[in-house]
Amino acid sequence: MDGIEVTLISGRTARQGMGLEEGKLSERYTQSVNTVYLNPEDASNLGLARGGLIKVSTVSGCVTVNWGGDAGLDRGMAFFPYGPWANQLYASTTDGTGMPQFKGITATVSAAEDSRVPTIQEIVESIRGGKRL
Amino acid sequence: MRYEDVICPFCGCLCDDLEVTVEGGHISEVKNACGISRSKFMNHGANRLMHPTVDGEKVSLERAVEEAVELLSKAERPLVYGLSSTECGAIAKAVEIAETAGGIIDNTSSVCHGPTILALQQVGESKASLGEIRNRADLVVFWGSNPTEAHIRHITRYSGMPRGMYVPEGRKGRKIIAVDVRETGSTKLADQFVKVRPGSDFELLQALRAIVRGRELPVEEVGGVPMQRIKELADQMKSARFGIVFFGLGLTQSEGRHMNIDAAVGLVAELNRHTKFVLTPMRGHYNVSGANTVTTWQTGYPYAVDFSRGYPRYNPGEFTSVDLLSRGEVDAALIVASDPASNFPVDAAANLAKVPVVTLEQKTTPTTMLSRVTIPVATAGVEAEGTAYRMDGVPLRLKKLVEPPEGVRPDEEVLDMILKGLKEAKR
Repeated sequence: MDGIEVTLISGRTARQGMGLEEGKLSERYTQSVNTVYLNPEDASNLGLARGGLIKVSTVSGCVTVNWGGDAGLDRGMAFFPYGPWANQLYASTTDGTGMPQFKGITATVSAAEDSRVPTIQEIVESIRGGKRL
Repeated sequence: MRYEDVICPFCGCLCDDLEVTVEGGHISEVKNACGISRSKFMNHGANRLMHPTVDGEKVSLERAVEEAVELLSKAERPLVYGLSSTECGAIAKAVEIAETAGGIIDNTSSVCHGPTILALQQVGESKASLGEIRNRADLVVFWGSNPTEAHIRHITRYSGMPRGMYVPEGRKGRKIIAVDVRETGSTKLADQFVKVRPGSDFELLQALRAIVRGRELPVEEVGGVPMQRIKELADQMKSARFGIVFFGLGLTQSEGRHMNIDAAVGLVAELNRHTKFVLTPMRGHYNVSGANTVTTWQTGYPYAVDFSRGYPRYNPGEFTSVDLLSRGEVDAALIVASDPASNFPVDAAANLAKVPVVTLEQKTTPTTMLSRVTIPVATAGVEAEGTAYRMDGVPLRLKKLVEPPEGVRPDEEVLDMILKGLKEAKR
């Protein structure tokens, strides 16, 4: 399967909280926020290999990340912990509220072959106008 | 040295029962802490920024402050942002800096519970302290909130487990209902899990409100929840002695935003025709409530305040940081205790990277990595004292337990240096 459309939900996790207190450059923080969680059946239909990578795309951007299974997610839903990797996907429009929509946006996920997860340094470089992710 | 009743400066729970042991000037043990709190206390010294920098070069504090003053005084549209993870004295200085610079002051509530503030300013709120909830609540609803991950001790300290004056049975005396779009640790811990379709919270809240009012709705389900289930929920809420809705970013960051909160307040108001019911936002950063409170004291408004005309103007959607940055309006920024380069959508973060940024921070972050000036600061509640406001608006005094690294000062002191320099430059 080429890819599936999902409703993307972002949010906090305890691992993310513990990791950021070590530091944003720590391995613990990075691993806590560069993974998207999918319903296991969706992952199976996408042919995702354990330890493989996925590409997540929205109208605002795309990013390659790790994936994990979460049976608590309905099919067609994905969860992405808050962080620099997730924020490659959200639009900065706020509809006059000040708040971007971080939960419930449409995204496409697909297996990412011949790719790798960008480092936090690469994300910062792309934010500065350098090489796009 | 053993400190008791230490307050945790991580989340809006501000748990005040920690025991911290300090040996040889270092924290060696923390008791009663959750995993995140433990990580904060035990890692406060790890990966620290040790020296101020300008353009990546190590400089003295005075030189870094001088550069910060230069950038802020020359800017036409400076933004002062962050503030939710520092103490109130620093927040007060930051507001004054924004006023002196003729800039904008905003805090992280604009990307967490800003929509809550918008709604509560329109329709009011029925609230209670966490102590009152601990002692009285027999029905606890978590709506769009996952405390098992984000406010880890909330359920055990305040809302679910404790034996209260009027809830002597503790957990057995309380019913917990979790409303969410997905299964979480909190929905598993709850007595009942109500799964709502993403983007349908507003509809479900309004349907519940109508049923509580005694109306019949000619539909079979709302937001994926069967009508019979909605009626059962309404009955449970009406028959509670003291009910509480704790709501989180599941409402403020999804479709509807402030209108979701408006609907939640409406439901709670309707329930108060039958019983006592209150609601409380699950504030994330430990002093985001204080950032709103102090900014309101000084300007009349809680966030998104513009001083460009010499007096405070408030307009979320216009003077909120993501909007300002996405329009490319900001020409300099002072960031305190926050990491917008990580937390903002990429377009807004990219525009932040185009302007000179001054950042006060403990550790390297994507924001410090793109900053012109970085100034290391002490960690409030660990290396500096101060006041913080709990999620229910109760102020608590943070303790200083250990000394910060040599030469590193609290946010308030550094901001005061910038403020004095700015006043001099503007004279």
